[in-house]
Amino acid sequence: MKSLNTVRSMLAGPALILLVGALVPLLVTSGFHLRLVSIICIYTILCTGFNLLYGYAGQISMGQQGFFALGAYAFTLLMSAGDWSFWSALPAALLICAVVALLIGIPLLRLRSHYLAMATLCFGLVFAGIASRWIEFTGGTAGMMVPSVKFSGHVVSRTELYYAILLIMVLVLVMQNFIVSTHMGRALMSLRGDETAAQSLGVNVTAWKLRIFILSSVLAGLAGIASAVVNRQVNPSFSEFPILVSILTIAVVGGLGTRYGALLGACVVVIAPQGLATFGESETIIYGVCLLLFLMFMPHGLSGLIPKLFGRIRRKAVLPAHGVVKAGEIKP
Amino acid sequence: MEQIGVILLAGLTNGSVYGLVGLSISLIYGTNRVINFAQGEFVMLGVMSAILFMVTLHLPTWAAIGAILVVVVLAALILELGVYQPLMRRGAAPLTIMIGTLAAAIIATGIALLIWGPLQLAVPNVFSLQALNLGPLMTNPQQLAIIGVFAGLLLLTWYLMYRTSFGLCIRATGVNPRIASLMGIRADRVVRFGFVFSALISGVVGILIGPLLGGQVGMGVTLTVKGFMAAILGGLGSPFAAAAGGVMIAVVEALVAGYGSSLYAEPIIFSLILAILFFRPYGLLGDFEAGRR
Repeated sequence: MKSLNTVRSMLAGPALILLVGALVPLLVTSGFHLRLVSIICIYTILCTGFNLLYGYAGQISMGQQGFFALGAYAFTLLMSAGDWSFWSALPAALLICAVVALLIGIPLLRLRSHYLAMATLCFGLVFAGIASRWIEFTGGTAGMMVPSVKFSGHVVSRTELYYAILLIMVLVLVMQNFIVSTHMGRALMSLRGDETAAQSLGVNVTAWKLRIFILSSVLAGLAGIASAVVNRQVNPSFSEFPILVSILTIAVVGGLGTRYGALLGACVVVIAPQGLATFGESETIIYGVCLLLFLMFMPHGLSGLIPKLFGRIRRKAVLPAHGVVKAGEIKP
Repeated sequence: MEQIGVILLAGLTNGSVYGLVGLSISLIYGTNRVINFAQGEFVMLGVMSAILFMVTLHLPTWAAIGAILVVVVLAALILELGVYQPLMRRGAAPLTIMIGTLAAAIIATGIALLIWGPLQLAVPNVFSLQALNLGPLMTNPQQLAIIGVFAGLLLLTWYLMYRTSFGLCIRATGVNPRIASLMGIRADRVVRFGFVFSALISGVVGILIGPLLGGQVGMGVTLTVKGFMAAILGGLGSPFAAAAGGVMIAVVEALVAGYGSSLYAEPIIFSLILAILFFRPYGLLGDFEAGRR
């Protein structure tokens, strides 16, 4: 049985986020700002998956942008070319992400640290290449339009769409908290600690790696679908390098291996560039500098600041971020 | 018959480039177990500063080459002192340092974007691009220079690593930096040398391939990834295995593009690497690395 305390810690944060998120449409009036908040939710879904994989389980994937685009493309193609309904296209697209993750995960997850990072990055690049060059199927660099989502003749409005994405994000956070606070979370964290030790304690290392890789790929696909619906289009930029940079920046700035790091990081990464006068060109430099400074000076990210601010040292099950990566390290 | 010759020559030219980037990545990895994600950015800096020194400033060729190499070495020192050292001092894991070098690559691309803009620029050539008949094959001096430099640098690296006492220091540091330090080897200097030497190699690559590829600020990532694919295919542990992996990738790429369509080249190489890694997780020639674990 789970103690009441654990259940509370699992639900309290997401409930608060749901409450605040539900009030946002009352506060922001312009469509542009509502879109920004939707993008924050999308990035949170994407990076929650990445955080489970890298922050908790210590298995890095630099191919998440590939799954982000795969979900979006599969969904769009099923909806427009396949003429499927929304409710069949959504699970089918997620299933495609899961199957692809399974197929490339079996050989890839035998690899560790750098090998895994680069091999997954190759997947992302291959996907980007296919998306931009297989023109008759994917629409090339111009991409494809996403048909608007309709339920029995009623076209879903931007605000309704935002509420749907918010709800999905909160559910994803609840699921993450559930995983982290049960035996599953401890199995994942044992992977990033020492695989051999984990195995000797009865953790099925291969199975857990594969499960968490598939879960994070499906979450990336879900975020991709949401992004396609919000942007009303899908193009190869979904699978390109800037998305990966955003994922890494969000994860590191928010705090790897923390429950709400993805949300905090997404807020910063989406909102901060809006204040810049020369937006486009200097954006990449600022992402890079943020990433570097946080890696050096705040390895626990913004989430590491919160206990400091409130003077609480009650940090359960959160190891130092530098310990995070030990799993893949080759020990001399 | 003629076609296969042309394809193999093209594969060898690209393979020299991938191989040299793979060799550079493997050299740094060999001293400190860190993957330098900014390796392709050194090539990009070499290409772009060639435009700056040769076209914008009209320097004579030899002075321009010197200036380009100075720029690349400075970039390597900035990377080593500004990213690698601080992260290392804070006890960061190799993977964290790799993300740090990725951040450095992003910053370098961003700065280059501000200087040179996003457009593809023509790069002046050091060797002539005039067609040259070599038996049945058509080639040009620039292409031959790339292959020649590849062979020369391989030989130089081999001599340095296996025929000098400094090479012994490099290999000892790669096996275990702490014990190497106990033996009186200045492990930190070896690491710095690794960064500078591999940046020099990448700078030379940049000067040579600039005219063939054209200069674009985003070219670094692709080169890093191709170089890394070369290194994992051959085996990260040895610079020569990495170089061989680069030639293999480029030849497969050229064959697929020559007989099929270049659309399939990347997916095929990717599946090939997946298959090889499935059976030999440390690369085709990666016994050294596997033995270390």
